[in-house]
Formats: sequence, structure tokens, C-alpha cells
Amino acid sequence: MVLEILDILISGLLNGGIFALIAVGLSMQYGVARVLNVAHGEFIMLGAFFTWTLYTMLKVNPLVSLVICGPIVFVIGYFLHKTLYRRIRLSSESQGAFEGNSMLASFGLLFIIQNLAILRWGSGIKGYSYLNFPVNLGGAMFAANRLVTLLFAVAICIIFYLFLTRTRLGKAIRAAAQDPDAAGLMGVNINQVLALCFGLGALMAGLAGSLLSMSFRVQPTMGLEYTVIAIIVIVLGGLGSIPGSFIGGFILGLVGSIVSHFEPGLSLVAYYVLFMILLLVKPTGILGR
Amino acid sequence: MLELNNINTFYGKVQSLWDVSLQINEGEIVALVGGNGAGKSTLLNTICRLILPASGSVTFLGRKTDGLSPHAIVELGISHVPESGRVFPELTVLENLEMGAFLSHAWKVKNETIKQVYELFPRLQERERQLARTLSGGERQMLAMGRGLMSRPKLCMFDEPSYGLAPNLVLEVFRIVRLLRDQGITILLVEQNVRHTLEVADRAYVLENGRMVLEGACCELAASDYVRKAYLGL
Repeated sequence: MVLEILDILISGLLNGGIFALIAVGLSMQYGVARVLNVAHGEFIMLGAFFTWTLYTMLKVNPLVSLVICGPIVFVIGYFLHKTLYRRIRLSSESQGAFEGNSMLASFGLLFIIQNLAILRWGSGIKGYSYLNFPVNLGGAMFAANRLVTLLFAVAICIIFYLFLTRTRLGKAIRAAAQDPDAAGLMGVNINQVLALCFGLGALMAGLAGSLLSMSFRVQPTMGLEYTVIAIIVIVLGGLGSIPGSFIGGFILGLVGSIVSHFEPGLSLVAYYVLFMILLLVKPTGILGR
Repeated sequence: MLELNNINTFYGKVQSLWDVSLQINEGEIVALVGGNGAGKSTLLNTICRLILPASGSVTFLGRKTDGLSPHAIVELGISHVPESGRVFPELTVLENLEMGAFLSHAWKVKNETIKQVYELFPRLQERERQLARTLSGGERQMLAMGRGLMSRPKLCMFDEPSYGLAPNLVLEVFRIVRLLRDQGITILLVEQNVRHTLEVADRAYVLENGRMVLEGACCELAASDYVRKAYLGL
């Protein structure tokens, strides 16, 4: 019994770390740049495929791939905002119109990226084996790569949080999230900051994809499931709250592991049920206002 | 220092400024007065290019500002303290001040500037670690003014800094405006509190329904029948 609980807890945390990371990423894109990026999962998929390619072709250590894939995905996200979303923002007559238009554009992006990936890598399932030995945690057994994933996910979130709270640029991002016009009056180049936030969101997704590829299968259609999870987590944590997304990720991870312990097929159902209850009972989320 | 020539500005299809011209010399306190909806805030937003004028020109220190973005205006040395302050509610008082010094030349000397701001507004130092949303209305206004000074501006534009404040705080705001001018900052003061404003400022412009109807030295305006009737209720 104790062992079972330990098993559920740890696997909840292992999933939660990744959920937190991808939700913090989406939180940057939706909370600051106001783009509900439905293609968030496609950036995860790109990170995973880049890492898989580097590992299988050049034997690059997946943890080294983080520092290669992250910047690549960041640049893709940054220029996507500079070209696509910036234009939509300028041509939308209101904030609400922009949110609708940018979400539609994200849907288009989802299919474009996904199909390009199928063209390049095929629709089959890929995978590789790295740090794939079991580790004994008080009797519960887990693959080492999953523990490494959790460690890195938490570390990345903490580094990012410090960036937001301690640095000049990080403070400007938070200010722009609260009042973009007033931030402009402080001399902040709003277009630049929004593109940066979108790029950072893509960066987190890419890093999450790199980490995921160590322990999960990689395929072009893997993204959407993670996008849905990220959306649920940012609502759960409170829209725009980075600590909320972080905590929310772990809560959802635990909910998933508890449910799948009894019925493995129902974890996604449990996420949706939780999401609906949340929207009915506390739509502002746990740390929202 | 700042010169506006024949500015026309629209909100959608509605014209809100008609052929507005204005001039500010270095070291002056210039007041812009007028009732609600006269276009005062629109004029400030046009100067700092949050709204783009349909025609007319703005020149600052001999340089036309056409085509510049709002952040570039700050870089030229214009600071705009917007209506109702617009402090960042989820940042602390200190972080709000730091944001005011976002531009790199101001960032380098921000600790020194913060010290000066605290001398002007000791209350802010007491509240340093508090989130701005927990401040009272008066404290928020002080924070907004302090934040506006953090970029070390040459010209500071205050949009109704005394609005909604208790009488003793209103006097405090005007005292600080005068103090800032004595420290060498040129000031454009937008106000509805015409009586105090005409006492503090050197010159004033009167804006009505988007058109400049009067301008002149404050002592002359305060003595004119029109201003006495329409704005001072005498």
C-alpha cells in the first residue's frame, strides 16, 4: 500500500515536471503576448525530433541537445511573432479580435508544422534509448531518464523565474504583461518584448520536447495532447501566473497518475473533467485574481 | 523645446484635435487646462505617439518625431505620467521605479535616481517592498510621478496628477511640480484644477472641444473675464 502510494506520487511528479515546463511556456505566449498558441505542442514535437535526429545521426547526448535545440526553436518562435503575429496584432481592431485571429492563425500553424514534420520524418513512431536503466526510489522503480527529465524541467522553470523577477528584461516582460501601453511609456519596445515572450514560450516547449524524447515515443502528431494539457494547466494555475502554471503542472501530473493507477485509459478524461469543474467552480484558477 | 504645429488627431472617424499648436520653452511650467473630453489626454498621447496624428508636426529639441515609436520618445527625454498613474499593480513599488529607468542610460544610474525620488516622496521608501496595487490612491499617484522621473527626463508631462486626491495631497503635488522645475525639468501640466494650476504655471493653454481657445501668461489668464467665468466660477 505504502509502496503503491509512493509509486503514484513519484510518477505524478515525473509527469508534473514536464507539464509545468510546457505550461510555463504557454503562459508566456498567452499571458504576455496574448496568443493562445494551439501549435504549442508542435514546438515540443520539433524539439523532440531535433534531439532524436542529433542522437541517432551524430550520437549527440540529449542533454547537450538542449542547448542546441532550445535556441533553434526560440529563433523560430521569435521570427514567427515578428512576421505573423505582429501583423495580425496591428491589423486587429481590438485585443479581443486579436486573440481570436491569432488563435486561428495558430491552428493553421499547427497543421503546417505537423505536415512538414510528416514530410521530413514520416508518420511513424521514433524513439531511442538513453539513461534507460531503473532507479530504486524507496522501493518504487523508475527509469533514470525520467528522473533526469524532472530535474531539468524544475531547474529550467526556476532559472526562468529568476530571470523574470531579477533582471531588467524580465521585469519589463512582467510590466508589459500588466499594462503594455504604460510599459511603452517607460521606453520598453513592446513589439520586441512580445516577440521575445513568444520565442521564450517556444523555447520552453522545445526544451520540454528534447527532455520528453528521452523517455517517450516521438512522432509528428504527438503535440496536440501536450497543447491540451498546457491549456488546462494555465487555466488551473490562473491565467498569466507563472508560479500558478508551475504548481498547476504538478497538480495535473498527480491527478493523472492517481487516475491512471486505477484505469490507465482515463487520465486524459480526468484532465478534461478537472478542467470543466474548474471553469464552473473557480475560473480564475488557484493563483489567479 | 517642444513645438506642436497644426495637429489634427482622430479617434476612429471622430476628430478629437483640430489644428492644435503649442510651444514649450526650456525651464517653463506650461499648463494645459480644459474640461472633460476637451482632448487634453489625446494631446499628450499624440506627443508621445501612443496615438498618431493625421496631420501636423511635433518637434522636440529641433527634431521631428514623425515615425518614432513610443519607446523612442522616452529616449529623446520626454516622460509621460499618464492619467490615473497606470502603475504596474503586480510589481512592487521598487520594481515600478526600476521600470521607469528601463532605458540603459537611466538604468546605470537608477540607484542614485531612486534615492532622489525617495527624498521627494519619503512615503514610497516606506512602501518599497509592497505591491503597487496595495497602495492608496495618493500613494499610487506619487509612485507614478516618481516612476516618471526615473528616466531622468528633460520634459515631464503630468496628466491630471491631482485628480481624485485629498486637498492636502493636491497641494503637495503642485509643490513637487514646482520643485522639479527648480531642479531643471521642463513641465507640461494637464489639469482640471484650474485655480491651483494657474498659480503654479508660467503659461497656460485652454483647450475646448479639441480646439485651442486661449493661451497666455498665467497671471493674464487668471485675470481674464472668460477664464474667471468658465473655469474659476467667479
